[in-house]
Order: sequence, then C-alpha cells, then structure tokens
Amino acid sequence: MKAPWQPTLLAMLLIVAGCATPTSQVALTGNVLVDGPNAIANGPPRDRVLWQYRTAAAAMRQGNFGLARQQLDDAIRTLGGIYGNDPGARKARSYFHGEDKKTFIGEPYERSMAYIYRGIIYWMDGERDNARACFRSAEFEDSDAENREYAGDWVLPDYLDGLATAKLGGDGMDAFKRAQSLARGVKLPPYNLKANTLVFLEFGPGPAKFAGGQYGEELHIRTVPSPVTSARIGVDSLRIPVAPTDDVSFQASTRGGRVMDHILGNKAVFKSTTDTIGNVALIGGIATAAASRDQTTQEIGLGIALAGLVSKVVSAATTPAADTRTWDNLPHYLSFACFPLPAGPHVLTVEFLDPSGRALANLTKTINLNITAADRDKVVFVSDSSATPQTL
Amino acid sequence: MKPLFAKICVPLCGVAVAAFFAGCASSGVKNPSGVPVTHMNADEQGFVAGTGVESQDLVHVADKMARSILDIPQIANASTAPTVVLQPVGNQTRFPINKDIFLTRIRAQLNSKARGKVMFLARNQMEALEKERNLKREGAVTASANPMVQEFKGADYFLTGSLQGISTRTAAGTSDYILYDFHLIDARTSGIVWEDSAEIKKQGLEDAAYR
Repeated sequence: MKAPWQPTLLAMLLIVAGCATPTSQVALTGNVLVDGPNAIANGPPRDRVLWQYRTAAAAMRQGNFGLARQQLDDAIRTLGGIYGNDPGARKARSYFHGEDKKTFIGEPYERSMAYIYRGIIYWMDGERDNARACFRSAEFEDSDAENREYAGDWVLPDYLDGLATAKLGGDGMDAFKRAQSLARGVKLPPYNLKANTLVFLEFGPGPAKFAGGQYGEELHIRTVPSPVTSARIGVDSLRIPVAPTDDVSFQASTRGGRVMDHILGNKAVFKSTTDTIGNVALIGGIATAAASRDQTTQEIGLGIALAGLVSKVVSAATTPAADTRTWDNLPHYLSFACFPLPAGPHVLTVEFLDPSGRALANLTKTINLNITAADRDKVVFVSDSSATPQTL
Repeated sequence: MKPLFAKICVPLCGVAVAAFFAGCASSGVKNPSGVPVTHMNADEQGFVAGTGVESQDLVHVADKMARSILDIPQIANASTAPTVVLQPVGNQTRFPINKDIFLTRIRAQLNSKARGKVMFLARNQMEALEKERNLKREGAVTASANPMVQEFKGADYFLTGSLQGISTRTAAGTSDYILYDFHLIDARTSGIVWEDSAEIKKQGLEDAAYR
C-alpha cells in the first residue's frame, strides 16, 4: 500500500504554523520622536524600555528635556524592579524562544547611559543629590563585568559624583581620585566650585549589537570609528578644548561574558544535536524503508524517519538567537567641561573636531545662555546631532 | 491490518489541527483582560519590588522617627509648643528619590498624632506669606490684626536628615543597605538635641536572562 505522505506533511506544517505567535508591529517612519511614542503606546511591551531610551536620547538632542525626563523615569522604574520571577525572561531562557522575548532593559552600558542622561536632567533641575544618585547608579550598573578590570570603570559618573558632593558641601576627592585613575590619558581638571556652567558633550556613532555563531547565539558589539574625536567650546573670550572622558563603545565591548551567553550556548548545542539526530534518523529510516522488501522493516524504517522528522522540527523550533535589540542612538564619546560665567546672556558655541583637529563646520552648535544667578548651575547638553540654535 | 503509517496518520493530523487552532488562540499575551486595580497598604511590600526606597520603608522610617521625636524632653516637657522648620534631606544613596517625602510624612504624623506638641513653620511658603502680609500692610486686603506687627515666628529647631547607602553587586545578586538618619538641631545653640536612625537592607537577584 502507498504511504500517505501528503496528509502527514500537511500535519507537520500545521503544527509549526500553529506554534507561531503573532506579534504586534508598529510601522516605523525613521523619526525616533514619532516612532518612539508610537512604539511605546502600541508596540510589544517587552520593547517599551528600548523605545523609551531611544526617545529620551532623541528628545534631549532637541532640547525637549521634559519628554526625556518622563521617558527615563519610566524606564529606570522598570530596570530597578526587574528582580525575581519574570515570565518574559523565563521565556527567553526556554529552548523555543529567542532571547529577545525578555523585557528589554539593555546591557549594562545601556543601563548606565540611561542613568547618566537622567543625572544630567536632575542637575539641570537643580537636584544635585539626585543627579549624584544617578551617576552612582550608572557606575553600579557596570560593576559586575566578568573582567574586574573593567568593572565600574566609567570616568564621568565618578567625576560628577565628586563634583556634586563638593558642591553640596561634602568631600568629593575620593570620587575624583577614582575618576582620575580610570581616565586613560586624560588629566581631569580639579573641581572649581565657582564653575556655574556645566557643559555635557556627546559625539560620534555609538555601539551596535549583532549576532554571531552558527545560530546567532553569540552577542557581539560592533563599533565604528567616530569622525568626531574631540570638541572645542567657545563662550565670551574663552576657548576650551574638550577631550573625550568616556568611550561608550569601549564600555559596551568590555563587559565580558554573560550568564545568558551560557544559556544560549546550551540552546545552540541542543539545536545542533537534535538536527543531527534528525538527519541521521531521517536518512537512515528512509534508506531502511527503501532498501527492504519486508513490510515490517519498512514500517520500522518509516517510524525512524518520522522520529527524525520530529527531531528536525524540534531543532528548527529551538531558538538560540541572542538579543540584538540595541539602543541605537547612543553616542561614541562622552565629555564634560565646566567654567564660571557671570549672570546675564551669553552665546556658547560648540565645535566638533575631526582626528586632525579641524572643526566639522556642519556640526557646530550654538546655544544662547541666560545665566540667571552666579550661584545656580546652568547645565548645557550638546550632542553633535543636537538641534541648533537652542536657548537655555 | 492497516499499515503502521496509516494508523498514525489520522491521530497525527488530528493533533496537528488542534495545535494549529490552539496556536492561533494563544497570542502570548499574559492577562489579556488586564489586572484589576489592587489596593495595597502603604506599609506592605507589593508584587512590584526593587531594592530601592519604597513606600513600606517610608512608612516604617517616618513612623519610627515621629514616635521617637515625641519622647524627647524638649518636646514632651515644653510649656509652649516648640517651633520646627523642616530642612531638606540629603540623599547620598544611589537611588534618585523625592527625599522630602520623609519629612512630609513625619510632619503629618506629628501634627495628627500629637497635635499641639510641636508647631511646624511653613517656610516653604514664605514668598506667598510675605506677599499676603504686604497686601495687608498696603491696605489692599483686610487684616484681622495689626499687619505692621511682625508675627512670623522664628524656629526653635530644625528637623533634617540624610539617606546614606552601601550598594553591592555581584554574580550572586544586588544588595542595598540604606541608613535613614534624622536629627533635630537647636536653632539657638546649634546643638543636636535628638537623633535617630533606621536601617533597611534589601537583596535581590535578576533572572539569569538579565545577567
């Protein structure tokens, strides 16, 4: 009798199709300030923090610090309460779901950046102690790197921790010394408590994640050289050269192995093993069935082939892919400068310089500052992709 | 006798069809109808918890401080209620918080549970108070007493505090210890007449997917 292959194949297809889980997708326009709020409202909840991060960074560059504050506060609440049982995380660890099924909170460098941005806004709002809390959390998020040499090695958060402490009347020298010991080749300026203008700078394209390995189970970081490697601030008669203090790409690529990498490795081995078993059983079973004239042997051969097919299906359903969702509008470098300015209006310009020290003309930013009181800090945030001019 | 393959084909197809429809029904959404609002007591830990400062910590710390302040002789034995001004609390932890909420709760506890034993001065409203007094002095609004007399009270004590923390993060998890310290300062002598503290330590470990 002829074996009924067609219904069996149809059955297998139905099983696979039935297991597929529909996901909500949002149409992207390419404008983060449009896509972000749309994705936060209508996209998968597991991507919410990712879009909040992206939206916050884009909003800060447009000078919309209210929107950035709102997004970062909500994102930080999520990442501060991620302890214990989490269904999305459990799913991400299972054989049959990718890592991206977990609620996104980002890798440590992304979490640190969320705290750094929020700290800047707190300082802007005059809350130095909460700003300092954020800078401490930024360092804390980076504190369990596999290689201890790279644990908690951000420079700017430590430097600003000390500066905030000093401005609050405390002794910030411990944090300053820690920052100086981490600053590779950069001599950090000593704290000037009369400096009432704090300029935060960021420039260059940030790191991106990509998947490697046979099944995309390895998480890798791609970094690209930045066309901007330093900056120059001009205000009144001052010309202040600014070197980078932190390299975000360096932070992203020095985290080391994750516990999740081990889990993804196990998934990859399982996928490979079930695939091999499936191949052997399919070929062996079909060959046995085809070679034999004995009906019982044929049936056994077909049974083995069916088991092989099931093993292939299990292998195909196993998803060891690493989570490559990336906070894709982060900068390459962070930097900072502070100086005293008298009360009154000032025009501040920031030139971004290429590796040979030439200003990239299309990137020059102008900020109209109004210093209301000499004893109140004016915080300025400038990115090489900031809107210009801005009035603060 | 039917061949083995034919025998298993029918149930296999049945299972496949069932799996197909079951798969279509489960869109992977947990609690598709949502979760109704759950009323919690402010002093209990909810199902959403981190290692930072939470409402149960605020209630515990503020209640302890309010009870402790009332026991000191400067308050308990005062012939007239001492006047107290709240000073901002310093946050030295790694958690950005609205730290003045502690003082607000301590003040509310003292005002509601020990009415008349202490009087808090609304220094954070000075701008509005001065404006109102000036309107009265100018005769622009009525006054129930002579507005030219200085009646704004000076502080007998300042109530302030600080939040300090030690945080550790290792492969075994995250640990956060916070020391909540509050003290009452005599405005005349600068002496600290009362001080009390509360300490809370929390530990947690994220799912391996986040490590």
